[in-house]
Parts: sequence; structure tokens; C-alpha cells
Amino acid sequence: MTVAILLFVILCLPSSIRLICDAPNPFHITIDDVARRSDQRFAAMKAILPSRGVVGYMGASGNTGTEDYYLAQYALAPLVLDRSTNHPYVIANFPNATETEAPSNLRSVRDFGGGLYLFATKDAQ
Amino acid sequence: MAIVLAIVSCLALGYITVVIGWPRRAFTFSHLLFRACLSVGFGFGLFSLSFFLARMFGSSHFIVVDICLLALLVACYWLLRNRNAKADEIQPAAALDVPGWLRQTVSTAFVVSLSAALYSTVVRAIAHPHGEGWDAFAIWNLHARFLFLGGDHWRDGFGALIPWSHPDYPLLLPAGIAHFWSYLGTPDPRVPSVVGVVFTFGTLGLLFTSLDLLRGRLAATLGGLTLASTPFFIAAGTSQYADVPLGFFFLAATALSCLDRGDTNSRSALIALSGLAAGFAAWTKNEGMLFLLAFALSQTFATIASKRRPSLTDAHPRSRLIPLLLAMIPAILVILWFKRFVAPSSELFSTREAIVTRLLAPARYGTILQWYGKEFLRFGHWLIPGTVLLAMFYFIAFSKQYRAIMPDLRPCYWTLALTMAGYFAIYVITPYGLHWHLRFSLNRLFLQLWPCAVFLVFASIPVKAMPIVSS
Repeated sequence: MTVAILLFVILCLPSSIRLICDAPNPFHITIDDVARRSDQRFAAMKAILPSRGVVGYMGASGNTGTEDYYLAQYALAPLVLDRSTNHPYVIANFPNATETEAPSNLRSVRDFGGGLYLFATKDAQ
Repeated sequence: MAIVLAIVSCLALGYITVVIGWPRRAFTFSHLLFRACLSVGFGFGLFSLSFFLARMFGSSHFIVVDICLLALLVACYWLLRNRNAKADEIQPAAALDVPGWLRQTVSTAFVVSLSAALYSTVVRAIAHPHGEGWDAFAIWNLHARFLFLGGDHWRDGFGALIPWSHPDYPLLLPAGIAHFWSYLGTPDPRVPSVVGVVFTFGTLGLLFTSLDLLRGRLAATLGGLTLASTPFFIAAGTSQYADVPLGFFFLAATALSCLDRGDTNSRSALIALSGLAAGFAAWTKNEGMLFLLAFALSQTFATIASKRRPSLTDAHPRSRLIPLLLAMIPAILVILWFKRFVAPSSELFSTREAIVTRLLAPARYGTILQWYGKEFLRFGHWLIPGTVLLAMFYFIAFSKQYRAIMPDLRPCYWTLALTMAGYFAIYVITPYGLHWHLRFSLNRLFLQLWPCAVFLVFASIPVKAMPIVSS
């Protein structure tokens, strides 16, 4: 029993060292940018959108696009973002694109900068 | 001031619930810490249920609901105080007979690993206030925002329009967080971050104290050392994964059911708390419902079977099973309502034909078994696999003769095995790509069961005296 306990303790401790090594450096902490990419990025848009209901959403495809979508949804909740352009208002979110053109059935309402646009259907007020 | 009021309300709800179920006041370190850890978890669970009930009935007077719930619990305590006074006390277990230097070595190692875990947690929580990865903002905190900001339209966030946000997941975390936000009046991101940290160290505290009460300080420090040295457990807690609170409730249900010995009074009280913990687990994540079912079946079977072995229990099975099942009911009712009237159907259950086809594909079973084996070896981001260490320790340290005299742990092993089997069955029928699903979820499932597994291994440490003595 004594040998088993001693061996167990000795073999556990390296993982504690790994915990310390893998943690961010406390003297050079870079705080992640979720707030900047979410609440701050969508603050101006949130002010002009309805607080509830459903709006359309278009963004990049793939993993990055999915993350961008969730950051937008998180910022604009309780407004629901449907990944479709079949809505009177559509948010276009392309953080890495220099310029985005509105699809043929939509017109640009406002460019918020940084690849963030609000589009609307041509007959929307 | 608002945050102090929220914390006090949450802790008061949890503390009174624990006091109702706890046989009698005790003032040892382990009793107090065990009770404190349970109070935090149960308080958060009740906070979550009360917020959700208020939302269900369209009320925004959350403080009034809290006061009513608190009054109800105080009344229950008042009514049951005489019965609880007669109950037996759980005495801390006698220590295992090992040399003093070894005891000191283990204690020092535990302190080192706990300090490393604390350091890592604090630094990570500061660097990632919204959690690492997507889980926090794509699922739990997003749902919390709908509950808090949505007013009468809170259900909008639980439709099929938001893909991959798992709108069918139960709401212990989102509703609990939203309840704190309603006190603060703003969706402060520090709340979910603190909740993640509290559940991480609450689980550690619960593991340490429950082992201390059952098997003595050496088992407690070894168990604490194992969990605190698991890098993935610490990372998941600061990432605000719901798997850590789920693991907390799995452990609480398991530990309380093991402590549930002694006379009829203490049994019914502790087993009721154990049922409540299983209910909170089911209200945390869908996997919790599987655990609740496995736990109820194992405890029922063990209790009925124990009638044939009078040495294990003198009471009628009803005195144990009724409080257990009754305590599960509030959470079950809320979950049923949520699933029936709010959540869309689960993505995991497709058409009957598709499920049958997958069930009849032997290759899927082989693949899942292979992944279970691989995950067993690499779980936890340990430098030396912790699962292997634990298994080796179990088989080297304990002789068969000792294991045979502890039948009270058997239902807990059954629960663990049944839950693992349930996870396996879900993988067999999953409509997603099997490799993809296993790759992104299996380590989480292991994480949920990890505190329980550690508890059961070290609870098997033989002691010189049994932990319960009659008063």
C-alpha cells in the first residue's frame, strides 16, 4: 500500500506542473477578444434594430463564419438571427472581407465598418 | 449591494435545504466544508428552478419568488427539526494505517496541486472572462441572455432557428445565471465566469470532504490530489463548460447515497438530498437525465436486494426509496414541462428506421469501443494518464478481501456503468458522423463522470472503523 501511494503521488505531480506551464503568463495576460468581437462590434447595430423578433443573417462559411454567427447572436439576443436572407432585414457579417456587395434582392441600409452591414429587402421601409 | 443580496439569497436557499436533509449539526472541518459545498450547488440549483418557474408563469418578481421559496424551506425545517434531532451523526472515518511521513507527503502533494489548480484557474478566468472555446457564448450564456433580456419572449431563443445552440438542453446554468443578472440588472459576464470557478472548486471540496467523512483524511487528500491534478478538469471549469456543474451533481448524488447509512431518520434525509442532487443533474444537461435514470434504477435495485441481507439495512425499502424518488420530482416536472412546451425535439433521435439501421451496424460498436479505449488512455491532458494511474492504484493497493466488505458502494458502480452504457447507446444511434461526434464529445462525457470515478476508487480504501456510529 505504501509503495502504491507514494508512486501514485509522484506520478500525479507532473500534471500539476503542466497546469502551471499551460496557464497564461500572469505578467503578460492578453484578455480574449470575445467582448470586442461581440457586444462592442454590434453595439451600434443593436441600437437601430428591433430588440425582439427575427432578422436574416449572412456571413462567411466554415468554422470562422460559424463562430462569427454565434458572436453576433450573443451580442444581439434576444433578437434571433436566422441564417437566411428571406427576411426584411439582413445582417451581413464579414469581419475579414474588405468590401461586401448586397445580394440582388437586397439593398444596403448602413455600413457599420469592419465588414458589418445591414441590408434590407428592396420593399422594406 | 445587489450582488451581495443575490449571493446571500442563493446560499440561504441552498443552506436551508441542506440543513433540512442533514441529520444534525456538526462542527468538524469536513462537515462544515461538505455542507458549504452542497449549499453552493443546491442554492444555485434552486435559484435556477425558481427563476425558471417565475418565467414559466410570466412573473418578473424574482425576489418575491425567492422570499416565498425561502419561507417554504424554513417552514419545512421547522416542521422536521424534531425528527432531525433524533438522527445519527456521521463521524469522520478512522484513518488508514500508514506511516506518518507518507501521510505528510500526500498532504504536501495535495497542497501543491491545489495551489497549482488555483493559480491556473485564476489566470485563465482573467484571460478568458467569456470562457475558452464557444460553449459559453454559443450555448449557456446565450440562453441566459434570452431568459434575462427576452421578457415575455424568452422562448424565442429556444427554437430551431439558431443552429447548434442545443435549444433542447435543460437550463440549470442559464436560468441560474439569469437569476443573478436579474438582481444586478445587467448581463454581467463576470457572473458565469465566477459560477464556473465556484463549481470547479465546489467539486474539489465535495470530493475531499465526502472522502474524509467516509474513508478518512488520507483517502480525501489522495482523491483531492487526483482531481486537482487533472488539467482538463481545471480548463473545463474556467471555460464555463456545463460538464463541470454536471460532474458536481453526479458526485453529490453519489457521495450522499454512500453517506446514507445509520438509522431510518438519517437515511431518509440524506437519500432525499441525494435524489435532489440527481434531479439538479438532470436539469443541467441531457446526460444528467440518463444519470438520474441510472441512479434511480441502481438505488432501487440495491435497496430491494438489501432486504435479503439484513446486515446492510434494517429498514423497509420504502423508507429509503420514497424520499429518494420524491426529491427527484420537482426537477423532473420542470424538465418535462420544458421539453414538452419549450424545447424542440432532440437532434439525436432521428427516424425509427434510421435508428434501427444504426443499431444493426456492428462496425459502429467496434468504433465506439476503440474510442472509449483511446479516451481512457488520453483523458484529462495528464502527463501520465490519470485513468491508468487510478486503475493501477486500485488494483495494486486494495486486496479482494477488503473490497468484498464494502457492498454499499455497489449501486454507485452500477450507476456509473449504466450511465457509460447509456452514453455508448447514444453514440450507436447518433445521426451525426460517428467519428466527428466521438471526437468532439467523448472527453466531455469522461469529464462528467471523472469526479465520481475518483470518489469511488478512494472510497474503496479500507478503514479500521466504519464511519457511522450510533449516538
